[in-house]
Amino acid sequence: MSIPFRFARRLEVNTKRSTSYRISGAIAGLFLSGLLLLITSRNPIRLLGQSLDAIFGSQRGIEGVMVQSIPILMCAIGVALSLRMKVWNIGSDGQFLMGAFAAVGVGIKVDAPHWLLIILMALAASIAGAAWILVPALARAYWGVNEIITTLLLNFVALQLVLWSALGFWRDKKSQVTQSTESVDAVLPRFPGLNSVSIAFIAPLLLAVVLWFVFRSTRVGYEIDMIGGNANAASFAGINVPRRIVTVMLLTGAIAGFGGMLQLTGAPGAQALSGGFSNRFGLSGFIVAALAGASFAGVLVAGLFISAMFYAGIALQTKGLSVYIIFGVYGVVLVGIAVGETMARFRLARVEQPAVTAPAAEVSA
Amino acid sequence: MMFAIIDNAFLSIVAAAIPASAVIVLAATGAMLNERVGVLNLGQEGLIGVGAVFAVIASLQWNVSSPWLAMLIGMFAAAVIGSIFAFATVVIRANQVLVGLALALGGVGLSNQLGNGRTGSPIPSVFKKIDPGSAFTKNQFLESFFHQDPIVYIAYLILPAIIWFVLYRTRHGLLVRAVGESPGAADAVGSNVLGIRFAYTVLGTAISGAAGAYMVLTITPTWSADIARGRGWVALAVVIFAAWKPFRVVAGALLFGAMISLDTTTQARGWKLPFLDAINLSFLLSMLPYVVTLVAILAPAGAAKLGRKTRASDAPAALATPYFREER
Repeated sequence: MSIPFRFARRLEVNTKRSTSYRISGAIAGLFLSGLLLLITSRNPIRLLGQSLDAIFGSQRGIEGVMVQSIPILMCAIGVALSLRMKVWNIGSDGQFLMGAFAAVGVGIKVDAPHWLLIILMALAASIAGAAWILVPALARAYWGVNEIITTLLLNFVALQLVLWSALGFWRDKKSQVTQSTESVDAVLPRFPGLNSVSIAFIAPLLLAVVLWFVFRSTRVGYEIDMIGGNANAASFAGINVPRRIVTVMLLTGAIAGFGGMLQLTGAPGAQALSGGFSNRFGLSGFIVAALAGASFAGVLVAGLFISAMFYAGIALQTKGLSVYIIFGVYGVVLVGIAVGETMARFRLARVEQPAVTAPAAEVSA
Repeated sequence: MMFAIIDNAFLSIVAAAIPASAVIVLAATGAMLNERVGVLNLGQEGLIGVGAVFAVIASLQWNVSSPWLAMLIGMFAAAVIGSIFAFATVVIRANQVLVGLALALGGVGLSNQLGNGRTGSPIPSVFKKIDPGSAFTKNQFLESFFHQDPIVYIAYLILPAIIWFVLYRTRHGLLVRAVGESPGAADAVGSNVLGIRFAYTVLGTAISGAAGAYMVLTITPTWSADIARGRGWVALAVVIFAAWKPFRVVAGALLFGAMISLDTTTQARGWKLPFLDAINLSFLLSMLPYVVTLVAILAPAGAAKLGRKTRASDAPAALATPYFREER
């Protein structure tokens, strides 16, 4: 017995179909997660209602989502940028941490006016983030070493370094029990009229607009897309592919690193570095980029959505939801996205079954 | 005298590192089986978590008194999750990187949630060390190597031997390798490419689940959040380092396992360098496994680029590539 259907490749896949399939996949994943919650005797409808209430019911909720979205969006924009070139940067968590690490170093060791300090911290963080991806970038571009594991391994090195600084050489010695570095004094101003959102929120929005323009109307953007489409063809067209790969990867690292500095100077209560500084923002950012399919406008929408989910997971900690469950839901949603992405490229076609009765008829005749 | 101290320290590291590394050996073996049939499974971290938490639930909640049965339950749970992974990647042919990361995230989330109320409760049913006989226990050196529990023997000797034999000495193994190297050719000689991929993916995830189960049934032996603590990712790197060969996986995992236990040993023994005290040295050493893993991945590629070796990687040629008969 054989399955009467097979996958047949579509001749062309337009962006609209691909996007709608990915979104459908994500929704199917959410639906499935709801069913799983139901099995574990949680009421998904009520949790959804409570989540919506926690997010939209008060200014605090909306601001909470915005605060969460800054680090997630910064990581997501970096990942999306590398995905334009079919490069998977799974190390944005590490780059984010290294950015914060460099920024904290500058913030507590350099004596300068606050405005100057902010600029120095931003520079140091971007450089540190870029430096953290330098080796994987060079290895990928010139030696052809797959970047997935190399970028990922450096996440652990960054986390250990942050732990070392928090418990060791930069530890805040004011109290015996602290497990974090000293706090930085130079912080970004709050948005006028808002309680907890700093002006850092503008950064991912601006970046997305700039990158959208770069890929829409500049030669560099076109070349990067061409490498993503077919690196060999791009090479034959005279593009220096390895150099572009290194440049773009360094840029993604710098963006994530800058995100670390924004978190350090912008987010409420995050002015010191500790082991829990990054709540796996890099992974959340990765899902955002996968959902958005490396479209920068899409990254903003998907980023706010994922941030809202994440915020709900934290806000409803006491009501049966948890960050653990949110990560579980992320996993299901990500499978949905991946399946949707594949489904968009293929269609189910009927396999013509050979008429099995024909020979028998011949014999009898 | 001095020599004896070093000797003792070395032996105690060995005695602790062998079982600790068995977690990585098992996870890396599972990952290697997946990759041998062309399926890149980045979800090792999640599989370890799922295998671990179900072994914990089995022994604490379902009162399973045999560690073997608890481990089988953990393996079964990992295989159930693994068959979802296999369905998405092999049958639907979705992007293996995305689904693998989903498995890593979702598996860790799921296991942390299920294990949440059980943190710190000691597991009653742990694997006991088997007595290797007086010939071994009389000699301190031999004892630290061979006085281990049965899972250590299985992970280090029996399992790799079986896998080696099947892969390299049977016709079936030839087909399995062909599915990872050239699925089109394997299909042409009539082997069921998707079937083999599915079966070996699920088998590999069960072995990775055993890694997690062993972790909670002997190493810790209790549940704590994020139980895998990066070992799943190290296992993936070990596979690359070991060039997808069963016994090299064992050697590589032991090396990295020893490095992981090095920082705690340093702290416990108060080792130091002229410019670093024990605490700081242990922090520095905690980065070592990941840095060395990175170097181990880069070195062969760099050597291939600089030297005359033509193939930069020993990876199965069809790794992470879905198979479509139409596109042969």
